[in-house]
Amino acid sequence: MSESKAAIKAWTGAQRRMGLRSARPSILIGLATGLIGAFQMWCIACLLGPVLSGLVGQASQSTPPAWPLIGFAVAACVRIVLGIVGETASARAGRVARSRLRREVLTTFVGNGPAILRHAHSGALAALVVDRIESLDGYFTRWAPASVLWIAVPFCLLLVTLCVQPHAALILGICGAAVPFAQAAFGIGAAVASRNQFLAMTRLQARFLDRVRGIATIVLSGRTEDEATRLQAAADELRQRTMKILRVAFLSSASIDCAMVVALILIALTDGRHAALMAQGGDTGAFRHLVTDSLFALLIVPEFFAPLRSLALAYQDRALVQGAAEDVLALPEAPQPAQGQTVRSVEAHGITIAFENVSFTWDEARGPALDHVSFVAPAGETLILAGPSGSGKSTIMELLLGFVKPESGRITFNGADMQTIVPDALARMISWIGQKPVLFAGSLRENILFARPDATEEELAAAVHAAAVDRFLDVLPDGLETMIGEGGFGLSGGQAQRIAIARAYLRNAPILLLDEPTAHLDPTTEADVFESLIRLTLRRTVILASHSTAVHMFHGRRVDLSHGHVSVCQESA
Amino acid sequence: MSSSLSHRPDQEKADRAALMRIIEVWKPHAGRLIVGLVLSLLAVIAGLALMSGAGLRFAGTVIGVTVVTTLALRVFGVSRIVLRYAERLYAHDAMFRALATLRVWFFRSLAKGAAAGLGFRRAGDLLSRLVNDVETLDGLYLRLLLPLAGAILTFPVLVVALSRANALLAVLIGCLFAISAFFVPLAAARLSRREGAALAHAQAALRVGVLDLVSGMREIRVFGAGPRMLDRVSLANDRLLARQKHQSRRLALVGGVSQLCTQTAVLLLLAAIAGIGFDRIAPVEGVGLLFLTLTAFEGAGSLARAGMLAGNMGAAAQRVVAVADEHPVPHQSVPVATAMPQTFDVLYDHVGFRWREDRPWVYEDFSLDIPAGSRVALLGPSGAGKSTLAALLLKAVYPQKGRILLGGVDIAALPDEWVRRHVAWLSQATHLFDDTIRNNLLLGAPEASEEALWTALDEAAIGDFIRTLPDGLDTWLGEGGVKVSGGQGRRIALARTLLSDAPILVLDEPATGLDAQTEQDFFLTLNRVATGRTVILIAHRLTGVEHLDRVWRIAGGVATAATA
Repeated sequence: MSESKAAIKAWTGAQRRMGLRSARPSILIGLATGLIGAFQMWCIACLLGPVLSGLVGQASQSTPPAWPLIGFAVAACVRIVLGIVGETASARAGRVARSRLRREVLTTFVGNGPAILRHAHSGALAALVVDRIESLDGYFTRWAPASVLWIAVPFCLLLVTLCVQPHAALILGICGAAVPFAQAAFGIGAAVASRNQFLAMTRLQARFLDRVRGIATIVLSGRTEDEATRLQAAADELRQRTMKILRVAFLSSASIDCAMVVALILIALTDGRHAALMAQGGDTGAFRHLVTDSLFALLIVPEFFAPLRSLALAYQDRALVQGAAEDVLALPEAPQPAQGQTVRSVEAHGITIAFENVSFTWDEARGPALDHVSFVAPAGETLILAGPSGSGKSTIMELLLGFVKPESGRITFNGADMQTIVPDALARMISWIGQKPVLFAGSLRENILFARPDATEEELAAAVHAAAVDRFLDVLPDGLETMIGEGGFGLSGGQAQRIAIARAYLRNAPILLLDEPTAHLDPTTEADVFESLIRLTLRRTVILASHSTAVHMFHGRRVDLSHGHVSVCQESA
Repeated sequence: MSSSLSHRPDQEKADRAALMRIIEVWKPHAGRLIVGLVLSLLAVIAGLALMSGAGLRFAGTVIGVTVVTTLALRVFGVSRIVLRYAERLYAHDAMFRALATLRVWFFRSLAKGAAAGLGFRRAGDLLSRLVNDVETLDGLYLRLLLPLAGAILTFPVLVVALSRANALLAVLIGCLFAISAFFVPLAAARLSRREGAALAHAQAALRVGVLDLVSGMREIRVFGAGPRMLDRVSLANDRLLARQKHQSRRLALVGGVSQLCTQTAVLLLLAAIAGIGFDRIAPVEGVGLLFLTLTAFEGAGSLARAGMLAGNMGAAAQRVVAVADEHPVPHQSVPVATAMPQTFDVLYDHVGFRWREDRPWVYEDFSLDIPAGSRVALLGPSGAGKSTLAALLLKAVYPQKGRILLGGVDIAALPDEWVRRHVAWLSQATHLFDDTIRNNLLLGAPEASEEALWTALDEAAIGDFIRTLPDGLDTWLGEGGVKVSGGQGRRIALARTLLSDAPILVLDEPATGLDAQTEQDFFLTLNRVATGRTVILIAHRLTGVEHLDRVWRIAGGVATAATA
């Protein structure tokens, strides 16, 4: 636990350093804006001072000097321009930071492969990349500059006030110093509350995505009302948690309001009394001076507290980073690619795959999925894995795809241990067709070209024909350009599978893994598909896992598996 | 984009209509929302009183007059702080309640139209709609309505106070305030309206991209597409950021304009106090007015930015409302049946159906009679429309022609819930939820006893496996049932269907993912368990062990009898 805390600290520390570096322009601009604001207030005081004191001192009703007005106007223009530039700069820093974080997280996802889904729900992962990182924007645009400015600007203004009106500076200093204490007391609570709030938020999102995916099942079971009630409960929980954070945030900004109001009233009262005393003294020069200074002190109060207020508003942004740190660090680390040799011959003689005493266990409680399994798939031949579900066929596929590693024993490709082959080279050698292909958002063409984006139009057409995709192109509204929805609506299971087969044709790899490719097809279509597949298996090393009776269409060795053991190993006719 | 200019009035009307729909959904929370509004207005008044009071007090003391008592100042100060805190807390709470209601309303509306599955809508996009659009809408009350009400209250106060001193000044500053609080936000809303839709779209695209990347990881690894998919998501990210850049630049400019109004107003007031260009106004009054003006404009400043977001709200409201309006309706209205059918004979009576106007007919004139208690199989190649028959029977879709009778009553006249309580459907897309096995089973029959659960599991030939799990029925299934194999998940779904006491069972490819031996075992079990119920078995082939009364081959939009 302390280790993970240290990791979170290190991660947030790194983010803070990068945030501060990119926030430098915003910080300088913020400082300049604060000082310009002070100058504007000085202009106002210099204008109002003589007017107010002139009224009492019976001095001549001369027009006050015009310079404060001009100074105020010029400063106003500079302030507006600086404001626009500063805001643009901090928005840029936020964008750069979010891009960087997204790339980091996504690279971890890809590095982990399908195992990432064992770690978290896809809705939760999407929420991490999209919403969680989006929510960090405020950290880089608001918190990073505010974390410096909240102390720098009031400090500068305090110095200025000290030169002008020492006792007002004292009041400001005391009221200002009270704020950080209140902040610290409330801030810790905000950080804790925020982590829980994000948990609730992610849970709500994951729940909703899951329920939306299965909404037909919910509706047809007549459970819409129950699920709606549960969603209501989840949303209520979210509200309560959010309110917990907000209560703290509002309390901390109320404490600033409070300090400001106290400072304002104290300065107004004490300076007013001073001025009243001085007015009786009759020294008009000193009186005018005092009134000007006091006015300045009064006017500077909102400027003094403004950066503190921005910090209070940005405080929850900091808490968000800590929450994000936990999620990002909880992701499993991507396994380091092994440095090894590639297999020497790829196309020329084909590849022989051998399992040598391979064992693998998914879950200790359920026993080994594979127990000392050995067999050989000779180059260019087809090997059929048979056996009931749960006998270990899928585990063999997972091992061959490199998603898991054998616990003992080894798998060799042309004699080279699979673990020593560079993953890219391994990926180039293998093509795979599973039970249900994932179809991505996009056109049918993009989905087929997914296997090899640089394929020519002829190669695409050949693959489309070979996989019999062209047989159903006519009924699609836009042929190959038809957009495919989630899970491939508008395509039947058989049609979706043909897309996967077209991908494999396009891929043209020396090894072909077929994992129950016809499980969802009717016998006629299955026969057609098998026919296409048989053509695809020519001169390739094929491992076919299937319990279909039509599997006799394939010629090759047959390995019968049961409970993770090889029960029969035979040469097929 | 240019075409949207000509459609602007329509679009604004649609936006307004969508926002009104949202506000209608919020009706149950009207009381709380109004209290929040009143609190916020009180806080505005306290703020105005405090600031001008402090200014007046000081200026007054200088010339030896007590314009505002210390007590009044204290009251303003305390009430300002307390009211501001109470207002924010209360208004936010009211808003979150309203948003929760909106989420649930969205889910319900979606459920109405979603029986046939998600169709061309993508779950990622939907999630994005719910979470982001609903959250964008929270700005409607907090960032738009509340400050706008504050500004409407402030405007006359400011103008009246100023006009007592100088009419010209009142007109000028009043105009500046109106520009800052009303015109700039309105212009910003118009400007951002086009951006709003694009921004929401860009965010949805990024989410869909990430979901694709995560759920298609197997394909991505096999085809070495990692870098490509990363680039694809990066592209979606860049598009989103480009949109945001555009928006943030505009936000900065809008902020600049409202700052300009504030600074000009202060400048005018100073000039008037100094007597430059205006008739000089009394200094004490001037100082009070200065503080009042500063506070008034500070409130208006936030509105300019809120206007920028208003465009997004219009788009978000339209997207959320659009979901509510997408649901299938019968092609001709049928009076609601007064008596529920007593028998459960199913009759497809000259049914014509196609998924969309521009798609070919799945059935043009389809008739089929399935007597109650019989066991029939519907066979046919994939894409022949076997599952469509089930969707029609469950009222997931409506036929364009003909009718479907259940016990002699047109199902269009029967309530959806009644039909679905009496027809249990194991579809090919049956979803296992990210929940425990127990909760997944209870979906079909919430009242089922522990014993009934195990019976159903045994009938589906999965009970033995679940007994071996350390947590038994309380084992967490994970997303889409990833923690069990495909065949095991399918059997759990089957157990869920068997648990329901519906007199009609529609089993769409129940044996998918089962190996040959388990498949045979399953059908042998099925022969035993569902006696007395109508069983409609949809399959692409038979194993030969099923006991069936009739076998129909579905091809070319007609059913032809095959040997049983």
